[in-house]
Amino acid sequence: MSEINTVKSNGTLTLINGKKYRGRLEANETGAAFYLRGKTEPMVEWHYTRLHRMDNIRRGGTTTQITVILKDESRYVFELDQGLKVYNHMDKHWADKPVTPRTRGDELHRLAELRGEKIEVPKKHLIKRRHPNRSIAGDIGIYLLLVIVGIAMVFPLVYLLGSSLKPLDELFRFPPPIWPSHPTMDNFSDLFVTMGQSYVPFSRYLVNTVFITAAGTFGHLVIASMAAFVLAKFEFPGGKTFFAVVTTCLMFSGYVTGIPNYLIMSRLGMIDTYWSLILPAFAAPMGMFLMKQFMEGLPTALIEAATIDGASTFGIFWHIVMPNVKPAWLTMIIFSVQGLWNTSAATVIYSEAKKTLVYALQQIQAGGIARTGQSAAGQVIVVAVPIIIFVLSQSRILETMASSGIKD
Amino acid sequence: MQKTSTQPGFASRYWNMKRDQIQHGWALAKRNKVCYLFLAPYAILFFTFFILPIGTSIFYSFTYYNILEPARFIGLQNYINLILQDEVFLTAIKNTFVIAVITGPVGYILSFLFAWFINELPKWLRAVAVVIFYAPSIAGAAFTVFSIIFRGDAYGWFNSILMEFGLIEAPRLWLTDPRYMMTIVIIVSLWMSMGTGFLSFVAGFQGIDRSMYEAGYVDGVRNRWQELYHITLPSMKPMLLFGAVMSITSAFNVSDVPRLLCGYPSTDYAARTVVTHLFDYGFSRFEMGYASAIATILFLIMILCKKAIAGLLGRVGT
Repeated sequence: MSEINTVKSNGTLTLINGKKYRGRLEANETGAAFYLRGKTEPMVEWHYTRLHRMDNIRRGGTTTQITVILKDESRYVFELDQGLKVYNHMDKHWADKPVTPRTRGDELHRLAELRGEKIEVPKKHLIKRRHPNRSIAGDIGIYLLLVIVGIAMVFPLVYLLGSSLKPLDELFRFPPPIWPSHPTMDNFSDLFVTMGQSYVPFSRYLVNTVFITAAGTFGHLVIASMAAFVLAKFEFPGGKTFFAVVTTCLMFSGYVTGIPNYLIMSRLGMIDTYWSLILPAFAAPMGMFLMKQFMEGLPTALIEAATIDGASTFGIFWHIVMPNVKPAWLTMIIFSVQGLWNTSAATVIYSEAKKTLVYALQQIQAGGIARTGQSAAGQVIVVAVPIIIFVLSQSRILETMASSGIKD
Repeated sequence: MQKTSTQPGFASRYWNMKRDQIQHGWALAKRNKVCYLFLAPYAILFFTFFILPIGTSIFYSFTYYNILEPARFIGLQNYINLILQDEVFLTAIKNTFVIAVITGPVGYILSFLFAWFINELPKWLRAVAVVIFYAPSIAGAAFTVFSIIFRGDAYGWFNSILMEFGLIEAPRLWLTDPRYMMTIVIIVSLWMSMGTGFLSFVAGFQGIDRSMYEAGYVDGVRNRWQELYHITLPSMKPMLLFGAVMSITSAFNVSDVPRLLCGYPSTDYAARTVVTHLFDYGFSRFEMGYASAIATILFLIMILCKKAIAGLLGRVGT
């Protein structure tokens, strides 16, 4: 506790009768004081021993509003301008750790110790649990519900994996086992044999999908980030309107615009080329939307400083903004990969040699019951890629999604 | 007399103000020329593949167009045919609404609730839970495994379980019998409903300032429901709207699930949705004008839904 230094923050003090004062709050480990602007004598002063509950300040982190309740039930509300950082080692996830709160009792004991006395005040802990206002029955209920629903969510995927590992006799056993007793990779090797015998080799489908996914994602990352950058950080006529249109278009995913898109692409001569999948992916609204929302969180001072140093707009974008939004890149990448990797593109690509992996797998599935094992194996391959990418980049994606909200 | 003398003054002042605004805007645009340069590649592609299709769709919806012949203007005939003559369309609309009304709100509320529950877990468990709940929607076509689970013969897992417990005597054709199709489509859609909105919620919960809960506790918030209503919901409004947009999208665009599970076309059109109907007319019969009318109706429904939800969310937690 001794690391706490005196901290200061400008802000407004609101009294219970509604009077407001502008000034500065200073707090250290023994108490807090409020100074009116330009005054050296404090307007009000509190010593922690007099505070009924000072947990808000004492447990800190950075906070913008502090409620102080004194013993006589009078309240003070602080609105702070920059926030008051009480610990100099800022503890971001305090709620995840067991808290041993400092209470009035603690404080009296500490002061008594300093004076070398012993006092008979009980060390009453106000907050015992991590989440003080949660009932245990509720916690148990939530855990149970999560376990049950979690199993239901994961069951089909486990069944899929199980089916892909089943030998032929277990695929048609009654009752069907969820997990094979003799797992085998036969279905996977059969899949490659079947695909190998087809008119176009399996590797071709794979290369098609990988190429489309990689090219589409890369272009999307660059083009959409450029647009997101100016929309987030510059004020120019039309920018807000454009973004509102993009937000509305989040709703119109692929299916509804399929028909007119086909007409437009045939006019542009893009039917049956990779471009028909790659170019629309460049302009996907979701990635742009998330990137713009995330870039708004970047401090404008960063960009202003670079402008004063004489950097060009592109220089700022490429050397300053882009390295600072890496979490958003990953999110953009995963959404783009998810869309492109799963695309079957049956409507815009006709040549067998240009078809995607998912399309090829749908053809295998059309082979009916005899191909059950192989089609499950194929599904496992298709499903694994986006899930693995998500598992690896989860924390970065959540960081980006935190700014995903739409302000109406 | 007074009134007539102020009237032209007002008009000219208004006009001056407008002119100033335009001049100011033009100056701002000129100063930020480079912004338009940055926006241009995206804007051009976005216009071509997202805005233009919507415009085209509305335009062709008033024509008869089969790609081979030039489009012929026929007024509202497509819409009249759709509503008055096309019985399959009415089935499709009915199915889409049943799916949307059930999977939309239920999926939305479930994603919010589970995101909230997951947020109560310790950190390492939270990461596992997010993957488990989000996996079905990120896995794309993984739902086709339900064609094995609900297979019509005794080797289908669901049939075998029911037969084991003696609930049914002979296997049922879950995916080809019109009586069961919709239920299964809804179950599968719900399974996939923890999508982007769910992620946004999870992230939103983590982003709420902890000191708000602290202050809430001091101010007398006694249980998790009070905390949810008074503190959590108001600070999550933007995420709630984003999640709503996402669930409208998934609820109205259901087409892969019925198409790949129940067949295309499905028995008696029992699992037909607006989007599969649109595909049928657009890509099988090449009646582009008619398909465009279907798409236009869908646009309208979705935009109205978004407006309604934005209005509702405006009142939450106040």
